[in-house]
Amino acid sequence: MEKAAAHAQPGRRGKPVKRYAARRSGWLHHLIRDRYLYLFLVPALSYFFLFKFVTLYGELIAFKDFRLLQGVWGSTWVGLKHFRILLDSPDFWLVLRNTLLLNVYNLAVAFPAPILLAVLLSEVRLHMFKRVVQNMLYLPYFISWVVLGGIIVSLLSPSTGVVNHLLGLLGIEPIYFMTDSGWWPVVFSLSTVWQGAGWGTIIYMAAIAAIDPGLYEAARMDGASKLRQIWHITLPGIRGTIAILLVLQMGKMMDVGFEHVFNLQNPAVFSVSDVISTYVYRTGLQNAQYSLATAVGLFQGVIGLVLVLLVNKIVKKLGEGGLW
Amino acid sequence: MVSRSRRMRSWPLYLFLLLCAAVTVFPLVNVLAVSLSSSRAIIAGEVGLWPVERNVAAYERLFRDGQLLVALKNTVVITLIGTLLHMVATTPAAYSLAKRRLRGRPLFTFMVLFSMLFGTGLIPLFLLVKQLHLINTFWAVWLPGLVSAYNLFVMKSFFEGMPPELEESAAMDGASDLTVFLRLTLPLSKAILAAISLFYAVALWNTYANALYFISKSELLPVTVKLYQMLQTPLDALLGGGDAALYIQPEGLKAAAIMITVAPILCVYPFLQKHFVKGVLIGSVKG
Repeated sequence: MEKAAAHAQPGRRGKPVKRYAARRSGWLHHLIRDRYLYLFLVPALSYFFLFKFVTLYGELIAFKDFRLLQGVWGSTWVGLKHFRILLDSPDFWLVLRNTLLLNVYNLAVAFPAPILLAVLLSEVRLHMFKRVVQNMLYLPYFISWVVLGGIIVSLLSPSTGVVNHLLGLLGIEPIYFMTDSGWWPVVFSLSTVWQGAGWGTIIYMAAIAAIDPGLYEAARMDGASKLRQIWHITLPGIRGTIAILLVLQMGKMMDVGFEHVFNLQNPAVFSVSDVISTYVYRTGLQNAQYSLATAVGLFQGVIGLVLVLLVNKIVKKLGEGGLW
Repeated sequence: MVSRSRRMRSWPLYLFLLLCAAVTVFPLVNVLAVSLSSSRAIIAGEVGLWPVERNVAAYERLFRDGQLLVALKNTVVITLIGTLLHMVATTPAAYSLAKRRLRGRPLFTFMVLFSMLFGTGLIPLFLLVKQLHLINTFWAVWLPGLVSAYNLFVMKSFFEGMPPELEESAAMDGASDLTVFLRLTLPLSKAILAAISLFYAVALWNTYANALYFISKSELLPVTVKLYQMLQTPLDALLGGGDAALYIQPEGLKAAAIMITVAPILCVYPFLQKHFVKGVLIGSVKG
C-alpha cells in the first residue's frame, strides 16, 4: 500500500519548489484515495463536532447573565458571579455532598457484589443451573430505571407493599422506606446492586476463566480447601481487573446516574437524594436559571475530566497500558 | 466417589445463588401478580407471588384509555428508526478509524475520546437542541446520543482484529473501500453488528432523559416518560376520572402500566441475552 503511494508521487525527487507541490498533492492524493473512508466518518464526526464541541461554546453562559432573547454571545459577561453564588449557596454544597456520598455507598456496597457473585458462579459445575441463574441475574440491567423505580416503590409501599406486609407478620411497624432520609440511601445502594451486580459479573467471569487451571490442580494436590483456592488463586488472578474497574469507578465520582436518582427521588428526601444532575435539571430546565445550572454542570464536567485523566495515569502506573 | 461428596458439600453455594436469582426476579413477579389482583387483595397486602382474585380490569382500563398504547407506539418508532440511525452513523466511522493508513486518524480519535471524557452540560445541550428546532421531535431523542463513543471503540477494535490479508487481496483486485466494506467486511461482522444494534435498541427502548428534557407534547412521549407521569400523578386525574377508576386500586393500575412497559423486553430477552454477553466480551478485550 505504502509503495503504491510513493509511486504516485514522482514529484518527490524533484526540486524544492516541486517538493512542496508534491506534499500538497500528497494530502490531496490521500483524500482522493481514501475518499470513502473520509465519507464514512462524516456522520459520526459531524455529530461529535456539533454535540460535543459546539456545545462547549454554550458553556460560556456560565460566565454570563444569559437571556434567551439575547443569545449566548449577546448576553452580558459577569465573570465568576454564578460560581460565587454557588459557593455561597447551601443547596450546592448539599448536592455535591450527596453526589459524593451516594458514590461512596455504591463503591462500598455495589462494587464488591459482582466480584462475590462471579467467584461463586465460577464454582458452579452444573452448566444448566449456571445459565439459568445468570439469565435471571442479568435481567434488571435491561430494564429502565422508571420501571425499576416503579417496582421498588410498589414493593416498599407502607400500605400495600409486600415487604412491609412481611415485616408486619413479624410484628414490625410499616417502614416508610422511600420517604425516610435514613432508609433512602440504603434503598438506593441496594437498587444499584439489584440492577447491575449480575451484569457486572460478566467481566469478572471472563477474567476468572483466563486463570491457568493448572494452579487449581496443584493446589488440590497440596490439599488446599475451596476457600483457600479462592483466596490464593482466584482473587489474586482477577486483581488486575478489580483494580481497573475500581479506579474507573472512582473516575465517575462526580456523576450519579440521573435516571436512577430521579426515579427514586421525592421531595421528602431531597436532603439526601438531590444530586448534581437532578439539581441541574430542576434549576436549569424547570426554573430556567440557565446560567446558574450551566455553572454547576461545568463544575461537574471539569472535575470529572480531571478525575478521569488522573485515573488513567493511575491505571498506567498499574501497568495495564492505560485506557487510551 | 470423591467428586460426589465434593458436590454434596457445595449445596450451600447452589442454594445461595438460587436465592440471589430469586431475589432478583421476585420484584417483577410480585408486580405482575399485583397487576392481576383485585383491589381488595392489594389493599390488604395479600399479594405475593401469585395473583389473588385474578382479574384483568387494570389492563382493560389502560388499553381503553389508550394513552399508554400511543406512547408504546412512539417507543417502537423511536427504537426501530433510532437503531438504524445509530448504526449507520457508527459502523462506517468505526471501520474508517480502524484503518491505520487514514490521515488525520489521531485527530478523529481524539474527538471521540474527548466526548467520552468531558460530560456536556445539560443546558448547553438544551440550547443547541432548541436552536436546531428539534424540541418536540423524535430527533431530540436520537441526535444527542447519535454515536456512543464506547460502542464506536468496541466496533473499531473488532474491525482492527480482522485479518488484513482479506481486504488487501480484494483491494488488489481493484475493489474500492466502499465495495470492500459492504461486500466483505459487513458480512463477516454479523456478531458485532448484532451485539451493538442490540445495545442501541435497548438504550432506545429505555430512552428516558432526553425525552424528559426535550419532549413536552403528550402525544409524542415515549412509554418510559408516560409511565413516569402515571406513577407520579393520582391516576383518576390522569385517566380522566370516571366511575371505573373508583373500582381499581391505583397500585394495580400502576403495576399494570409497569408490566405493559417491560413486557416487550421480557419477551425478547431470553433469545437475545447471549448476544449482549458477546458484545461485552468483545468490548472488554480492549475498551
